[in-house]
Amino acid sequence: MSVVNAVPRLLAIGGRALLPALAIAALAASGPVAAQSAAQRAVDAAKKICSGKTITIVWEAGLQSLDPLNFSGPKWEQLTGCKVKVVEVPVAEMFTKIMQEYRAGTGAYDALNVIPAWMPDLAQAGALEVLDPYVDKYGFRAELQKIAPTYRDNQMMVGGKIYGFPDDGDVFVFYYRKDLFARADLKSAFKAKYGYDLAPPKTWKQFDDIGSFLTEKLKGEGIYGASMFREAGYGNFMFQERFRNEGGKFFDANTMKATINTPAGVKVLTEWRNENRFMPPGVEKFGFVENLAVFLQGQSAMTISWPPYGRFAAGYLSEEKALSWVPKSQIAGKVGYALPPGGHPELAAGFALSVASTSKQKEQAYLFIQWLNSEEISNQRVQLPYALRDPFRDSHFTNPGYLKLWPDAKDYLAALKAGANTGLLDLSLIQTDKYEEALRQGISRLWAGEDPKKILDDIARQWDETTQRVGVEKQKAVYNAWAAKSGAYPK
Amino acid sequence: MVASQADPLTPAARPGARDRGFKYALVAPSIFVLLLIGIFPLVYLLVVSFQNITMTDVDTSFHGLLNYRLLFHDQRLWEALLHTVIFIVIALPVELILGLLMAQLFIDRIPGRQVFIALLVLPVVVSPIVAGATWSLMFDNRFGPINQIIGWIAGEELTLLWTINPHLVYPAILVAEIWQWTPFMFLLLLAALSAVDKSQLEAASIDGAGYWRTFFRIVLPAIWPVMAVAILIRGLDLFRLFDIVWALTKGGPGTMTETISIFTYVKGFQQFDTSYTAAVALLIIVLLSVLVFWGLKRVELAR
Repeated sequence: MSVVNAVPRLLAIGGRALLPALAIAALAASGPVAAQSAAQRAVDAAKKICSGKTITIVWEAGLQSLDPLNFSGPKWEQLTGCKVKVVEVPVAEMFTKIMQEYRAGTGAYDALNVIPAWMPDLAQAGALEVLDPYVDKYGFRAELQKIAPTYRDNQMMVGGKIYGFPDDGDVFVFYYRKDLFARADLKSAFKAKYGYDLAPPKTWKQFDDIGSFLTEKLKGEGIYGASMFREAGYGNFMFQERFRNEGGKFFDANTMKATINTPAGVKVLTEWRNENRFMPPGVEKFGFVENLAVFLQGQSAMTISWPPYGRFAAGYLSEEKALSWVPKSQIAGKVGYALPPGGHPELAAGFALSVASTSKQKEQAYLFIQWLNSEEISNQRVQLPYALRDPFRDSHFTNPGYLKLWPDAKDYLAALKAGANTGLLDLSLIQTDKYEEALRQGISRLWAGEDPKKILDDIARQWDETTQRVGVEKQKAVYNAWAAKSGAYPK
Repeated sequence: MVASQADPLTPAARPGARDRGFKYALVAPSIFVLLLIGIFPLVYLLVVSFQNITMTDVDTSFHGLLNYRLLFHDQRLWEALLHTVIFIVIALPVELILGLLMAQLFIDRIPGRQVFIALLVLPVVVSPIVAGATWSLMFDNRFGPINQIIGWIAGEELTLLWTINPHLVYPAILVAEIWQWTPFMFLLLLAALSAVDKSQLEAASIDGAGYWRTFFRIVLPAIWPVMAVAILIRGLDLFRLFDIVWALTKGGPGTMTETISIFTYVKGFQQFDTSYTAAVALLIIVLLSVLVFWGLKRVELAR
């Protein structure tokens, strides 16, 4: 038995506690073969079994897919002779497409991008291939350990088996105009009015104070205190984050009765509606692009969004052709980064790389995703200016190249890392979309003027119906497994 | 045995029976294909509706009327049906009346008639999902021209959230729907009006009949068969209304504008409640069949 073969087996038996020691021992004992990177191992194996073939991968349409189209796909082909066909699917349709293909069993997709919250559904349906045997065969376990703990421990496995490699460190970041927050006239006026310093808010009460204050002072200059995602699809993530920061729990862990309609939930929806007074008109419709446009044009002083906002705001590679749709940043060098109020940002959405169980080229597909996800290649991918993949490995946050990409990149990466450390997972159950759909519909009803308590009571009723339909005990087991994860609720 | 040796009285020996057999043999393949693509899916749908196939469980065991019981207690389903009826009841008469008025306008040989007709028909050739997306931009509160124009008229900047405000969302969808499909009515009715017997109109005029009397006694009976078919086609189209609503509101706020088609899509293809969706689909098929049969009988085309 060679060391290369022995290490994965031992790792499988010994678990994480043995990993560092075994990895070091393996590296020391095995010479050039074991020292080879996971990326190179994937390349070498793919040359033998994938050269001349084509694998198909599902990727989010738009900027995300420029990664495999412009960078990783061509590079993989150059290295291995294996072609990559990219099927672009809008994120709202990805789950449907993946499930439809699985049910049809055509084998049209080999590798998949999967939002981690979908994993229990897809795994239970049988749509995803268990990756553990491949991980062991191609010696990837040690590199998987170097994924940032939040993503590694929470977004990789279902029932103790690996179904996907976390590949996108999505986390909400609080962005604020540090030039405005540093203005002497505003600082003194704010201190005089509220009795504390003008600084990034730690609580939603402070956020309300600062937002209304800045709107009062700066509206004449065309600047609102804040702008936020309010459109229901995005609001879903915002609600999940804030509800838990306010102490809310989604369910009673014993009875599985929905507890979203508790005072914490009512408080969030009531405050949301109230906060709109210091945001741009029509904020109720703000999604990713609308909010981005307002923030980059300098029309709002605070916002919360995914990491690309920080890169776009810094004007990092704004000449890139693929980014021509992004409004030119008027605020480059003026943006500060922090944790959102409450201190526990949503690890909203994200992507993991998986292999389709119906694929006829599972091994080939696996090798491609191992290579993509590897330390070496992922470090390059997260720096692509157009591809929207955010840092998710420990090494990404300290990558010397990344730290120098723009003057504030160090602060940006520090904020992302802090967010990853304290972030909260999206709710993930059986039939997650039914629960999220009820929430999305509830948020849109809020903007239509309905009463928050009535909305949340309706959501709770729908959640309970869904739980009944799935089976209380079955869902309870999944929920409790999810709730036991480190990022489920603030610790 | 050959034909010449057969009993001359047996059916196979009779030339008429042979011809009939040959005819049946000729049409049999097409009947088989029709059954395969028409009846088999229906039967399969029926079977699936009695099972319990969901996203995570492919449970093909017989579950009796489980899905039908759920269906009759599903408030959202009946609300979706109600919303669909609201769209039909408002949009259909408006499209009909506007289409008729436009057809009346263009029945006379006015200058530029052909060009105007071609321009007026353009919305019909646009894909409904594209039309919906375009109207979504038109109604946008920041960049859309509609709010700007209303703002100019009102003399102040207005933020009308057409796809969120419950008072505006139905008008917004109906405007888009009527804009797209009135030309369809117009085209059919223009063709029907062109075929009205001119001599009858002249006779009515000579007899001193007024405009309305002529319209109700001569024109309407003459164009009724075409009009009835147009109403039927548009009625069925509106029953399966999806694209424009999806592009504008996705059925929201909440489920306020959710149509039966959107409901079915969400249940079937987003949440993969396959068996339940099969039951819903069967309900729709029954409802539509009754409606179509009734409609065809009304216009005496069923015979």
